[in-house]
Amino acid sequence: MSIDKSQWQPKIIVFACNWCSYAAADLAGLNHLEYPADVRIIRTPCSGRMDPLLVLRAFNRGADGVLLSG
Amino acid sequence: MVAVAQHPNIEMITYAEVTQVKGYIGNFKATIKKKPKYVDWDLCTGCGTCAEKCPTKKLKDEFDLGLGLRTAIHKVYPQAVPGKFYIDAQNCTKLTSGKCGVCEKLCPAQAIRFDDKEEYQEVEVGAIVMATGYDLFKWEEAYGEYGYGKYPDVISSLHFERLVSAGGPTGGKVQRPSDGKEPKSVAFIKCVGSRDDTKGKSYCSRACCMYTAKHAYQVKDKIEDSEAYVFYMDVRTAGKNYEEFYQRSLNAGAKYIRGRVSKIYPRGERLVLKSEDTLLGRPLEVEADLVVLATAMVPSEGAGALAKAIGFSSDKDGFYQEAHPKLQPVETFAAGVYLAGCCQGPKDIPDTVAQASAAAVKICGLFSKNELATEPMVTQVDVSKCSGCGFCVPICPYNAISLEPIQERGHHGPFTRNAAQVNSSLCQGCGACLPACRTLALNLKGFTNDQLVAEVDALCL
Amino acid sequence: MKKRVGVFVCDCGTNIASVVDTEKVAAAARQFPGVVFATTYKYMCSDPGQELVRNAIKEQELEQVVIASCSPRMHEKTFRKAVEDGGINAYMFEMVNIREQDSWVHHDREQATQKAIALVRMAVSKVLRNQPLQVSTIPVTRKALVIGGGIAGMQAALDIAEAGHQVILVEKEASIGGKMTQLDKTFPTMDCAA
Repeated sequence: MSIDKSQWQPKIIVFACNWCSYAAADLAGLNHLEYPADVRIIRTPCSGRMDPLLVLRAFNRGADGVLLSG
Repeated sequence: MVAVAQHPNIEMITYAEVTQVKGYIGNFKATIKKKPKYVDWDLCTGCGTCAEKCPTKKLKDEFDLGLGLRTAIHKVYPQAVPGKFYIDAQNCTKLTSGKCGVCEKLCPAQAIRFDDKEEYQEVEVGAIVMATGYDLFKWEEAYGEYGYGKYPDVISSLHFERLVSAGGPTGGKVQRPSDGKEPKSVAFIKCVGSRDDTKGKSYCSRACCMYTAKHAYQVKDKIEDSEAYVFYMDVRTAGKNYEEFYQRSLNAGAKYIRGRVSKIYPRGERLVLKSEDTLLGRPLEVEADLVVLATAMVPSEGAGALAKAIGFSSDKDGFYQEAHPKLQPVETFAAGVYLAGCCQGPKDIPDTVAQASAAAVKICGLFSKNELATEPMVTQVDVSKCSGCGFCVPICPYNAISLEPIQERGHHGPFTRNAAQVNSSLCQGCGACLPACRTLALNLKGFTNDQLVAEVDALCL
Repeated sequence: MKKRVGVFVCDCGTNIASVVDTEKVAAAARQFPGVVFATTYKYMCSDPGQELVRNAIKEQELEQVVIASCSPRMHEKTFRKAVEDGGINAYMFEMVNIREQDSWVHHDREQATQKAIALVRMAVSKVLRNQPLQVSTIPVTRKALVIGGGIAGMQAALDIAEAGHQVILVEKEASIGGKMTQLDKTFPTMDCAA
């Protein structure tokens, strides 16, 4: 079994704190700093809101990577 | 100062401390502890007969940092506001041994109250300004090379301010504390405790470069044929007209030497400073009659405990933490609590005044409203699921959660148990309490577990 | 609560539409469970754009609204107001960030469009679980407490008092003035400190 790396698109789920990382992602947008489109951001009110179960849920549903930022 | 005392909208409570603050923005309840003054200030006219006759006359005056003397009943200083007298209970003969009482007999207003007690007053306010200021770094405990405070003629800059002040113990004549002689050679050492990771603080105290330039200028100006040596690491004059002021000092003849002083020791009546001129790369020895240390500013004593009582944080050095270093420099993480002056970090007078006015404007903005709208995205408790474990209580950064008794009906009739309660005015909706809740009794409106799981599922499809 | 979601996709002039195929996003949104209406518009935040939202809420009997446009940090408040004016609770609304976090950071049209569709799906899924929330108000006691009677405390107290509000100034020493009263002349003007 092998994965064709040129075709494979990972699913990356980002949990970003509204007050810092989410704002930073907006700033990246403002500066047109390009990054892969596989990255999808979920806004959280604070990284303190993050429940480990949400991370596990993401992996359980097929996410290839989870980034928690805050 | 007089403007503050005379303003009809300002109630001044001196010789008092805030001990407790409860509540939230718009609705604080603060407890103020009034220390006993042993003088009825409603009656005291400030005539000073008491101090004139007080037999305990040889106490070191704190205002003059021990350079002058005072009586047991005294004013903070002659121009104090309010200009009333109070008794230093630790040193008053009447209060310590029951004898004396001269002031009570002589007071024309009959204002002396030896039975005065501590009083507590509770006030309701809508906003708080923290303006607790700074203390000076205790160099005597850290700098052995400068004599650990053993040499009387090694003093701090604040001592020097008292010596040079017209209202000071010497009437503005610069004199050596040891023998009262006028010093002909004065050495200044900057950054004592500042910018020194090993013995003091890592930060720059910001005001020292300028006041040392002022002191050096004053030495040259006031004392004929004098020398002023300034030992420095850098000269920082970032402020309007500051660089010009420094140049004025140089032009007056102050000698700036780039280098740290490694040792001070006495030679005869004078002090020897061993150093190095790092610009020339040469060791150096200077003899001085007086040494003035520009000591670091540190947060004032008790500032940290007060922050804890109110519910906001301090930084690594104990200064109050602003909500954002650039965009919210006067706000704290506690809504309705604002910062002014050196409690937030070392600063000089212009910056302090600017920050204080900024804090005042924030409060005026707050007071321009009749009511405050609260964000509805706050934590709610499903009491039926809450086990009352209390894990969420210490996690809340805003002290919004408490355990409160609730009435319930059981098989054997009604009973009381504890359950979490969220104060929606204090809750900022961060949701940090949710992961701590083992029974899923807590949920954050607008960011519920259900909603976030739905988002994860939809993205992972 | 009935499931009647309306999805509005903003072109933001060409800011979004040049990279994201907004029509395709709207078409995909129509297939999501609960969505009864989806459309695009050049500038959602403009007056006609908001009017479009308000009218759609009435005509389509929408119960939930999703707007895919810029960052919620930019226009969440604007659209909450529009949704409320349209007749539903301001919190029955979710915003999708397809500008700052999509069209501005990607250039592959297909991938950016797919990302926008995924983000809209996420928001629709969330908004179906939203509950109406009410803003409450708390009273304000118009009286300030200033802790510390040094130069900072005095200045703040005076400014607040001048604005007509009551101030309580607490000082631990028996006199106000703080460290400043111990100073002689002060830089750079060399005027007296008292």
